[in-house]
Amino acid sequence: MFPTLIAATIGLLIVGVSVALFAIALSTLYVSTHAWWDPLTQASTSYTELLPKPALSFSLIMPCRHESERVMASTLKHLCEQDHPNVEVIISVGHDDPETAATAYRLAARRPEKVRVSLDSGAVKNKPQQLNTALAICRNDIVGIFDAESIAAPDLLLHVDSCFQIRNADVVQGAVQLVNYRDTWYSLRNCLEYFTWFRSRLHAYAKQGFIPLGGNTVFIRRDVLGTINGWDARCLAEDCDLGVRLSVLHRRIVIAYSPHLVTKEETPDSIRSLVKQRTRWSLGFMQVHAKGDWKTLPTMRQRCMAWWTLMQQHFMAFAGLCLPFSIGTAVLGKYPVPITLLAFVPLVPAVAALAFDVCMLHEFGRDHGYRIRMYDYLRLVAATPFYQVLLAFAALRALIKFRRHDFRWEKTSHSGSHLEYLGAAAKA
Amino acid sequence: MPTRAAKVFWAIRHRFSADQRTAALIALAAAALSGWNLLNAPEYQDDEGTYTAQALAILEGRLAPYTYWYDHPPVGWSQLAALSWLPVLFGQGNQSSVGQMRYVVAAFFVASTVLVYLIARRLELRQVLAVLAAALFCLSPLSLVLGRQVFIDNVGLPWLLLAFYLMLSPRLRLWEHIGAGACFAIAVLSKETLAIFGPALLVALLHRPGWKTRFFSLVGFLSVGGLILAFFPLLALLQNELLSGPGHVSLQDAVTYQFASRPGSGSIFDPQSDRTKLVMGWMYYDKYLVVGGIVAALACILRREARWIPAGLLVFSAPVVIGQGYMPAMYVIAAIPFLVLAIAVAADLAWNCLALLVPVLASAATHSNTAARTVPGRRRAARGLTGGAMLAALTVVLLPQWLSMNRTLLETNSNADWQHALDWSKENLPRQDTALVPYSMWQDLYADGRHDPWKVVALEKMDLDSEFAVHHPDSWRAIDWIIEGPPTARNIKNLQLRNAGEALKHSRVVASFGDWRIREVVKNTQETVNAAAPATAEAGQ
Repeated sequence: MFPTLIAATIGLLIVGVSVALFAIALSTLYVSTHAWWDPLTQASTSYTELLPKPALSFSLIMPCRHESERVMASTLKHLCEQDHPNVEVIISVGHDDPETAATAYRLAARRPEKVRVSLDSGAVKNKPQQLNTALAICRNDIVGIFDAESIAAPDLLLHVDSCFQIRNADVVQGAVQLVNYRDTWYSLRNCLEYFTWFRSRLHAYAKQGFIPLGGNTVFIRRDVLGTINGWDARCLAEDCDLGVRLSVLHRRIVIAYSPHLVTKEETPDSIRSLVKQRTRWSLGFMQVHAKGDWKTLPTMRQRCMAWWTLMQQHFMAFAGLCLPFSIGTAVLGKYPVPITLLAFVPLVPAVAALAFDVCMLHEFGRDHGYRIRMYDYLRLVAATPFYQVLLAFAALRALIKFRRHDFRWEKTSHSGSHLEYLGAAAKA
Repeated sequence: MPTRAAKVFWAIRHRFSADQRTAALIALAAAALSGWNLLNAPEYQDDEGTYTAQALAILEGRLAPYTYWYDHPPVGWSQLAALSWLPVLFGQGNQSSVGQMRYVVAAFFVASTVLVYLIARRLELRQVLAVLAAALFCLSPLSLVLGRQVFIDNVGLPWLLLAFYLMLSPRLRLWEHIGAGACFAIAVLSKETLAIFGPALLVALLHRPGWKTRFFSLVGFLSVGGLILAFFPLLALLQNELLSGPGHVSLQDAVTYQFASRPGSGSIFDPQSDRTKLVMGWMYYDKYLVVGGIVAALACILRREARWIPAGLLVFSAPVVIGQGYMPAMYVIAAIPFLVLAIAVAADLAWNCLALLVPVLASAATHSNTAARTVPGRRRAARGLTGGAMLAALTVVLLPQWLSMNRTLLETNSNADWQHALDWSKENLPRQDTALVPYSMWQDLYADGRHDPWKVVALEKMDLDSEFAVHHPDSWRAIDWIIEGPPTARNIKNLQLRNAGEALKHSRVVASFGDWRIREVVKNTQETVNAAAPATAEAGQ
């Protein structure tokens, strides 16, 4: 009697888990292929036409911490050499990081008319804190954020300017693309993740009226930032938080993608720093979720969407691990065939998503002029389960930190490997 | 003051588009036609009995009443099982089992008819021609006779048509192409022969001016379709029956049997072969549809968006023309929509050609607003004339043949003897005796208080299911009664049912209703003992 009861409970559990996994896999499939859902969607996700005359002015903040001079100089060069006529750059550094600060002052001295340095002397050190300090000395209409290691396209600001004007936007979110896809086994997956995020997912979220912004290549009207007191300095995902707060306020957020306007970056240089970065994001999403601003969204549908979006990273991470486990239990447990078959059903959207990943990798290569080889496609597929384990581990780590209220900022270090890919693409 | 009916009419007119209203009318007409005399003609077939029994076994938690041997994927009869409440809803719950299941199949037939109309509209045919296509599909005797029987081809067909409908979407949306893959997979899992239309579906997808997300569409269609199809071998794998082995059935054996070792139907170039007879049978029911459709398909090559029709007919006819393997009689069912659509497209082309010669018609023929500018009276007259001419041609050529064919189908009762035999058996056969019955009657006798598949034994299972020997080591001597109908002797010969043949040989008729006979097996005379010797030796196989 008792063993039967246990078997029945596990059987029911398998059915429940399968249904949940199917829903997660299907929604993941939906958001990640949204841009290709319809030829019309493709057109709607791109930048607006380019207006003949730029009308706005830009203050670009470049937060730096323990960066090499090579990486900083290259980023700054691309920001200063924008085609847009009205740009100032503010390098934001912390007072406890004298080497980077020195580099920043040295670089600023070379272009005194365009570049200034903002030194943050607060006790707590993190990115939102640095951003708020830098915001105080910004003078122009639009504030833009660029990470220390990101390479902006030369005509990006011209397009963003037109986008602000034509779409009457409060925020314009451009796209970021990791490019050093050949470096390590996880970098290819990581690059593709960014590709789907900016090419498709963000647009799908935007359509639902709930947008977790990114922390890079994002442009916000300075007065709008003023009304909401800038970034939340206690939040590890200050970018996501900003998006949530602006979504709640019905501010007009425009997401735009064009392959040649993406800001190029590199992946974290080791698995260790990838896990750190992911833990920080997960923790940030948990914080945003816990803050509960999303609960004030007007419709139930939007609130559900917000909850789903904020939790999705975790769902995805654990779904990948649950799936083999659920199938294994169903097969080994000798349940009735329909139950066992049901355990396999979530594989349909999951494997289809992998097939679409292959298509997206093809498009990624085409968009950026990289020659994607057969080996790369195989590597993409083979790396998937291991990458899934990494994500789940990071999510679990974040959960533990969240329970222990450990919100210290773990910095992702950069080696500048993406700089070599710029040359490769230019030659291709 | 408008009456209530007028108000309702007005509301319907404004709520639904012209296509939706027409589709609803077509559905009603098709439902009326397929329900008409449904239980009386054509004769109940053993295959219908098989699928009915398998569908009802699903409701009892099994894939078939006997050992499920992967003859077909179980999705076809699972759908019949899922809809088995339909006849009860329409007050037909007291009919014979196969009869009730025919009402369920009618729902699939109606769906197919509506989809033929909708596909014709997606091909941008004139509404009148789209209606014509649906009417041809419904009224052709070939379609009507096959479409009302419990065949899993009829279950898979609407899924196949839905796949084409989604594939032809003018918006080129990815989810529609993924949906087409899913529908196609369900069609193939309902009846595996529908897989032959896969290439035509690919032509429908790819043979149009390129679009940006085309590669994604292709991958979505293939991956989702393929993944869903994989559930059939997965089912076999989970039951440890994927590969051939001693002591169990297997998917491998079933595939080998269906495609290789099953007695073939011969070549079409041999006038005496079963294949030729089968094709002649299709022609007998509606030669105009078959020949006219094939000729019209050639004309379809002229239209880019309709080229999947000749492609579909080409892959369909390849096994008919060059194959020699087994060909089921229902194989033609899936080709009928292609034939009627080909005729509709050709008619549309003909109308366009005519329009070039007669300018008044041209304005009536175009979809654009220019039509409104011509004189309405003349336009209507021209339209009426052309439509009338087409209708007249149909009346003269098709109607006499159709009327005589369909009259038999819609007026006669071919199942009276079957019903009498069943009634007599229910009343007179002792419940504890073992009876060998044709599959068309199996479910009714089984459900009539017996509930033991080894007391009410379907004819072929005696020889083909090894379980029989477990329950009845005495082989044919275990049989007390045989219900013999027209297909019994044929099945014994075609399927080489030796033990069943022995039982039949040792039996005498006790009751007779037309072609149907009830026989009692005689076991204790001297000659039967002698004759039984070899059969007993085989029982252990």
